[in-house]
Formats: sequence, C-alpha cells, structure tokens
Amino acid sequence: MNQYEQKDTILHAENVSVSYGEKTIIKDINFLEQDTVRPGKVQGQVIAFLGRSGRGKSTLFRVITGLNKPTTGSVLIPDPTKKPINGKIPAKDVAEGDVGFVDQKYTLFRHKTVYQALIYAMRNSPLSKTEKHDKIMRYLAEWGLEKSKDQYPNELSGGQRQRTAILEQLLSSGHYIVMDEPFSGLDIGNILNVKTAFKLINESHDLNTIIFSTHDIELAVELADSLYVIGYPRNAEGKLETYGTILHHYDLKAMGLAWHDGFGAQHRELAEEVKKALLAS
Amino acid sequence: MGCKLTHNPQTHNLQPTTAMNFRSWFRPFEILKKEHNIALIVIWVVMVVGYWFVATSGEKKLFPPPEKVIEGLQALYGEGLVVHIASSLGLCLKATLISVVVSLFFAYLSPVPFMRPVAIGLSRMRYLPLTGITFYLAMMMHDARSMQVGVLVIFMSLYFITSLLGVIKDIPQEEIDHARSLKCSRWEVLWEVIVKGRIDYVIEVLRQNLAITWMMLVTVESILVAAGGLGVLIKNSDKFMNHGRIVALQLVILLVGLGIDWILNTTRKSLFRYSKI
Repeated sequence: MNQYEQKDTILHAENVSVSYGEKTIIKDINFLEQDTVRPGKVQGQVIAFLGRSGRGKSTLFRVITGLNKPTTGSVLIPDPTKKPINGKIPAKDVAEGDVGFVDQKYTLFRHKTVYQALIYAMRNSPLSKTEKHDKIMRYLAEWGLEKSKDQYPNELSGGQRQRTAILEQLLSSGHYIVMDEPFSGLDIGNILNVKTAFKLINESHDLNTIIFSTHDIELAVELADSLYVIGYPRNAEGKLETYGTILHHYDLKAMGLAWHDGFGAQHRELAEEVKKALLAS
Repeated sequence: MGCKLTHNPQTHNLQPTTAMNFRSWFRPFEILKKEHNIALIVIWVVMVVGYWFVATSGEKKLFPPPEKVIEGLQALYGEGLVVHIASSLGLCLKATLISVVVSLFFAYLSPVPFMRPVAIGLSRMRYLPLTGITFYLAMMMHDARSMQVGVLVIFMSLYFITSLLGVIKDIPQEEIDHARSLKCSRWEVLWEVIVKGRIDYVIEVLRQNLAITWMMLVTVESILVAAGGLGVLIKNSDKFMNHGRIVALQLVILLVGLGIDWILNTTRKSLFRYSKI
C-alpha cells in the first residue's frame, strides 16, 4: 500500500442544502477533504462525485464553486490571506472565483486567443508582466499548446480547447478546480488528454485538488482517491426521497486503491459496488 | 457470374456534386459545387432580365422597358444623382451613429435589473405607429433635417434594441459562469461577455436593421425636399409618373443598399477572425 499522510483540511461542506421555492434539490451534504501528503512525491487530490442524472451533482458543484449560494450550510476552504492560528490556516466561505470551474462544454471567451485568455486569467496575480508571460509559456509548452497560443477557441480542436479551459482556471483560481462531467461525449483520444491533464495538475502542487463528476464508474474508480456517491436517500418507509444527498463515501487511499496505474480486481469490485449503490439511489 | 457492386455517387446526396448533374439541382438539400451555384445565379439573372425584355416589348406593359430605365438613369445622373446618393448616405450615417450609441446604451445596461424594464419597454415601442411620433417630433424640432434624423433614429433604435436584446438573451449561461469563475466582478462579466464578447454581433445586427432603415429612407426624405436625397428623386419622379426614372432609382437604391451590406459584412469578418455568425 502507498504511504501517505492526511494534513490540513482543504475542503469542508457543512449541512449544505439548496432549495428553489418548495423544491429541495440537495440536502444534508457533509464532507471533509484533507491535504494528502505522500513522502518524496508531489501529490494533489482527486475527488469524484458519482450520481444518476438529476440527483444534484451540478447544483452541488455550483455551490462548491461559489456560483450559487447554498440555502443552508456552507462550503469552507482555507483562507491564504489570513495568518495561521496554532499552525492552522483559518477557513473562509468559498466565493466566486476561489474554485475554478470547467463545464462539460469547455467554455472559453470567444473573443480571446489562448494566450490572451491565460493572461486575462492571471490579471489579479501579483507577478510581473514578464513573470506572467514566462509562466504561461511554460504551461503552454508542458500542455502542448505552444503552437495554438494565438488561436481563437473556434480555431482549436476539442482537446486543445479542454486543455486551455483547464489551464485558464488553474492560473486564475490557484489550487481548486471543479469539472462537471469532463469526459462526457469525448472520444478515446480526448479522454486520454483529460487524464493526462489530471496527472499534470496533480503532480504540480500538493494542494491542487480536482473535483469532478462523471457517469463512467470505472474511470472514476481509476482516477479518484476519494469517491462520493450522491443520490436520493430512502425514507423510513423505504421509499426514495426527491432530493440528492451523499449516500456513500469511498476513501480509495485507505482502501489501497488510489494512485495505481492499472485497474485491478479490487478496482473492479469497487466499481461493481458503486454501480449497485447508484442503481439503488 | 456474380453481380459487381459499384459505387453509386447518387447515394451520397450530401456530398458536393462533382460532375455537371442537372438532376441534382432539383434534389432537396443537395450541396452543389461553387461552379454549379454560380451557374444557377447566372441562369436566374438571365431569365429575369429576359422576362423584362419580353414583357416590355408589347403594347401593354407593367414595367418600363430597359431602354427607358437606362434613359432615366442618364437623366438622373445629369441632375446630380451622385450628390443625392451622398445626401442619403449622410443622413443614414448620422442617424445610424446616433441610434447605435443610444441602442447600445440601453441594450448593454439591460442585464442590470433596474434598467431591464426600460430596455424591454423601448423594444415594445416598435409597435407604436410612426405617424404619431412624427407629430411630436415636428413640434420639438425646428429644422426639417433634424426631424429626418430624429425619425430615423427613433425608428432604427427600437428595432436595434430589440435585436440586441435578442443577442444578449441568447448568450449561454455557461459563458456568464465561465467569466464569474475567473473572478470577474459582475461589471467585468458584462464588459467581457456582453460588450467585448458580442461586438461582432453588433455589426451583424446593424447590417440586418440597416436594410429596414434604407427602405424607410424614401418616406423620411420626403419630409424635407430641399435637402435632396434618393427619396426626393423618387418622389419627384413618381409625381410625373416617370416610370423609367422610378425603376432606375429603385435599382440605384437597391445597389447602394447591397453595397453597404457587403461593406459591413466584410468589415465584421476582417476585424473579428473569431466571428462565425
């Protein structure tokens, strides 16, 4: 089993619920994620949310990214602008822009080239103009986008568009990035591109955290180190409620299933278990 | 001996037709090669012009014959057609500039809840009859040229605002969320997504609306005959039932309008590489 240690809390959802009028979309959402440290290795976090359609994954993601305010509860992240108290960074409510958000269409500014988009994403960074340029050029080279730097979104391939959208959010928000169904409708090549992007993000900083949703159970089990199943709970009479909540949490690190290159028998077993949980929700 | 399977190009009806296949011209959704499309345009132009010649060769005629139109055009040129075109273009340009500024102001502020009712209200005003408006404009304005500009500005702006509101409404929520996730303030979202992100649409909307304005020109220019313009020329020709001149002027108005349309479309495409409307 891979050695690892859990450090400070990086993301904490407390009693989150979202309702529109009488209709409750999600309720009683609670989870806590900590910074994972592996000896001699830069290791970010990959958190997967699985759930059937209409169970509130996208609503939860809008709350995590600060795009929607929860009706009750809060989502907390460390506040890097505050001084640590007893060695711990104080928490703050997540606000718009704290957590990067990549939707399944990989939306970009239609009027900005790749380079212009990345420069814009860094507009609030304290780095100098030259430092920003150098950082962007380094990223573009690492992510295979150097030749596309002066192209507009409508001139990019699907894969280039994905990488640009992810990079843009990484440069703007820092360590957190939420991806709503990043594998939806992609061909095998582009799925590989996104998987490579996950790896690049993960290996570039300890605090980097990817939160994603997918309908591909095997892919979620393969990539995630923490996996949540969101679905309708059952009431006392055994009937399904009509709001989404977290039904199961699988800590793949503790299960010894995280950070494997292959997809073994245990992964398959877990995928089967998750599948059953989804069907029952 | 078994049958040979042969490739039948007819089955690929959504591929550009390579050989000159006339049957493909009558098959719905057929995608033709460029030469075929040009050939079709030429055929239609020849047919229309041919019909014009034939239909005007007899004693009874609905349209003036081509030679009368050419005569009318020569006479108009002698009477300063170019100056009149310039006058019409000047009026159109002045009204367009003012109405673009006014319309953009209201349309761009429409996402602000306080301003939304104003923008929507102005858009609804397009159902108001122009006759009533001209009455109040005549009382407010002292010279007829300002009145011409005023009528055109009001008329254009109402349609322009309506089209711009449509453009803004069609912006996907993902684009707004994308900007917000990049730490854009609400005003920055407005600036980046709506103002900068849709500037090419403004030219397109202008292009579509200018066609209506150009049609309105005849009516509006008749308010002040002394200022000249294509509308005045057509009105005078109409008075004397000079059909050759009328058709000649119609053609000039059509060609100038198409010219403006082409300039705007080319400007949009060359200024905004990303613009694929």
